[in-house]
Amino acid sequence: MKVRKELEKKFLDDFETNQNIAHKICRIYTTNQSAHNDLFQEITIQVWKNYPKFRGDSKFSTWMYRVALNTAISLYRKSTRRVKTQDFDAVSFKIKATDYDDTEELQLKALYKAIHLLNDIEKALIFLYLEDKPYKEISETLGISSVNARVKMNRAKEKLKNILNP
Amino acid sequence: MDLLENYKKAWDNQSKETDKLNSVEIYKLAKSKSSSIVKWIFIIGILEFVILNSMYFFVDMDAAYAEYKKLGLYNFVFYSQFFAYAIIFYFLFQFYRNYKRISVSDSTKVLMKKIIQTRKSVKNYVIFNLGYMALIMFIVVVAEINLNIDDISAKQILLVLLLSLVVCLVLLGCLLLFYQLLYGFLLRKLKRNYKELAKLDDYN
Repeated sequence: MKVRKELEKKFLDDFETNQNIAHKICRIYTTNQSAHNDLFQEITIQVWKNYPKFRGDSKFSTWMYRVALNTAISLYRKSTRRVKTQDFDAVSFKIKATDYDDTEELQLKALYKAIHLLNDIEKALIFLYLEDKPYKEISETLGISSVNARVKMNRAKEKLKNILNP
Repeated sequence: MDLLENYKKAWDNQSKETDKLNSVEIYKLAKSKSSSIVKWIFIIGILEFVILNSMYFFVDMDAAYAEYKKLGLYNFVFYSQFFAYAIIFYFLFQFYRNYKRISVSDSTKVLMKKIIQTRKSVKNYVIFNLGYMALIMFIVVVAEINLNIDDISAKQILLVLLLSLVVCLVLLGCLLLFYQLLYGFLLRKLKRNYKELAKLDDYN
């Protein structure tokens, strides 16, 4: 019992500090608030269920990137439903003009909107790029060769650029 | 500066405060029920085993065995069932093993592969079961014809064979359609993603 409680506490600590990873992934893979919450819930469940298997030979955040992305790409079912992007934007980007630089807020909005047009694999690649992950980690997370990761990344970036600046 | 680098700055500076959950909220979420496709594949797989095997309860087996006896097929059907059950248990074991091997902390590609394999073991089970039923059905039809060979004309034989073939095909077609819809609904996205991810690696 005690071991279990300790594990729970460690998990809660780790997850709370790294929850931003899950929030960003949900924002990329869903287009409305209810789907966002639903995916976030599934990610939390999966991270907790697999937490005993996390051995700590890598950083928790590295491991969480993998579990969260896998959940979004392979386990989550409902995201196939297409919902209008406006729904999401309205909720998540209530403009807090006083706190933020306007142009960056707009850029971020445009960026998310463009990412929504990519396919699931491209989304993962671009997300890992934006999070500054090295190619080695990207190819290990996705389970593909680093050559393949590079080629796919370049294509995904090209596609994203074309959407952002047609 | 590269166009994307520009946007990346906005990405790096995005607010970290939005939607922050405290540990109590995270705890609640973590303990809620999963609705992942792996769970659905497991539930549907188990249902398939149960439904296909419980079909025997709806058939009057005593009457069927009496009929087999009359046709001289009793021993064949009786012993072939041992064989069939051995194979069915093998499929069940394989399904369970594949299911257990699925781990979300694998790499994306390996995870997808394992999910597809698990689904395949159910498919193989269903194909085997239907094949076995069709084989028994075919043998019974042939035996029936053989028993009554003196009373029926060649035309009638052809009719019976054709009719059983049509019934078989229609049943199979319905089942396939059902499967296409069920697993198509569950796994279409996964298969597409797998293809997309594996595309270049498989050629290298």
